[in-house]
Amino acid sequence: MNADERIIEALDLTKTFPGGVIALDGFSLTVRRGEVVVIIGPSGSGKSTFLRCLNGLEEIDAGSIVIDGIPLDHHRKQRLLIRQEVGMVFQSFNLFPHMTVRENIDLAQVHVRKKARREAAETTMALLAKVGIADKENRYPHELSGGQQQRVAIARALAMSPKVMLFDEATSALDPEMIGEVLEVMRKLAAEGMTMVVVTHEMGFAREVGDRIVFMEAGRIVEEARTELFFSAPRVERTRTFLGQIL
Amino acid sequence: MSSLHASFQRTAARRAALIDYGRFFLLAGLAVWLLTAGIHELGYPWQWYRVPRFLFTMENGAWQAGPLLEGLGVTLEISVLSLFCATLLGLTTALFRLSSSFTARVLARGYLELIRNTPLLIQIFFVYFVLSPVLDIGAFASAVLALSLFEGAYAAEILRAGIVSLPQGQWEAAHSLGLGIFDTYRYVILPQAVRHVLPPLAGQGVSLIKDSSLVSTLAIYDLTMQGQRIVAETFLAFEIWFTVAAIYLLFTFALSLTVRTMENRMKEVPLRGTGGAA
Repeated sequence: MNADERIIEALDLTKTFPGGVIALDGFSLTVRRGEVVVIIGPSGSGKSTFLRCLNGLEEIDAGSIVIDGIPLDHHRKQRLLIRQEVGMVFQSFNLFPHMTVRENIDLAQVHVRKKARREAAETTMALLAKVGIADKENRYPHELSGGQQQRVAIARALAMSPKVMLFDEATSALDPEMIGEVLEVMRKLAAEGMTMVVVTHEMGFAREVGDRIVFMEAGRIVEEARTELFFSAPRVERTRTFLGQIL
Repeated sequence: MSSLHASFQRTAARRAALIDYGRFFLLAGLAVWLLTAGIHELGYPWQWYRVPRFLFTMENGAWQAGPLLEGLGVTLEISVLSLFCATLLGLTTALFRLSSSFTARVLARGYLELIRNTPLLIQIFFVYFVLSPVLDIGAFASAVLALSLFEGAYAAEILRAGIVSLPQGQWEAAHSLGLGIFDTYRYVILPQAVRHVLPPLAGQGVSLIKDSSLVSTLAIYDLTMQGQRIVAETFLAFEIWFTVAAIYLLFTFALSLTVRTMENRMKEVPLRGTGGAA
């Protein structure tokens, strides 16, 4: 694979939580530009921890992470730089409750990207239209449904024009009837060529949108394969049991 | 059958309310009796008619503030200045305590323990007699400094509690957007934290107004000092002290009311209600 095709290079990551839980145990993953990688696995397998390490929300104990040529190390400047290029969507939305939808999306554009207010507002409106809630710009998060809140959160992350989007169980906190609308937005993003790393339990979505599936357990990769192969011909016995349980 | 049950419930509710009112009037009556009996036993020659002239006088058809109102002006001046400085100091200390820097944490911790575990009166004396010659400041500035240091320590702990009560996800969302620590505090954390702790913060403001009476020990002519002077001249001890207390009450109560109104207005935007299942 061509060197500048790689946008995420995570090598030999190790992470042990205080209390001795091993979240990552020599985990490595490379993601190419425009690729959609879906990480699946039982809870506690380290999927979310991996995502959170990618933008420095968690510190790794050992290993190296390079994102778009920028190494993630102890320098604060680089960490902030990486976070500007990596958007993240959380399971619990984490919208800012004291700000309107528009203010939520404007915030980082104005204060991190240093855009003019008017320019930021234009981007915000375009993004809201894209995620299908253009009429909610002046609402507060608590006035929206869970699905709408998550779509605002996606718009907020996209407003930074990130090179990579991380989705940490973005639909797990939603009522079933709202999962579809959020997946639809994610599907659209993938079709536009956004590089995405998605932690999810939605196997239908994984199969349809994922270019590659990574099955994780106990901080390690059990199996990693192109999507068609992963679901049709899993090589590892553990993968077959897991798929048997959830499909 | 069910209508009988409902009517029984209504009667029970009415009886409970009646008992509750009864208790209230009993207690209020007891308080009034205690007060009048006390005043009667005291055998004190009340002379309330001599009090108004210390509040204000009429000269040449124009109202003039008496010594008590002049003292109130000084008290308010000291309180407002101290409130401002205490808030700044409290905020800085709270951020220091939550900082990742060891020095900042130790500094904040030392300041908090020192201030919260010594009497305010001694702190006022310390600032006035030990620090003020070094800093070359007068009694008034010493008073403001001492009160700010004292109330700032309490405000710091209140603000810190407000900050740590916020869900971790707020920090993570701000960080993931690339906001630095300063912007995260300014736009995301503090606006929410301050709203959470507005009631205890207001309580600290009320304490500050009351505690400011201690600056009378530095011969500053605040409300308390004026009261003391008038009592010494006129021997109207109870009348003047009650009046002074009522003036303090008026202002602390007004402050509490203002904050409650602010709180109610802010409630229109609830702080929780986002966050799904988390």
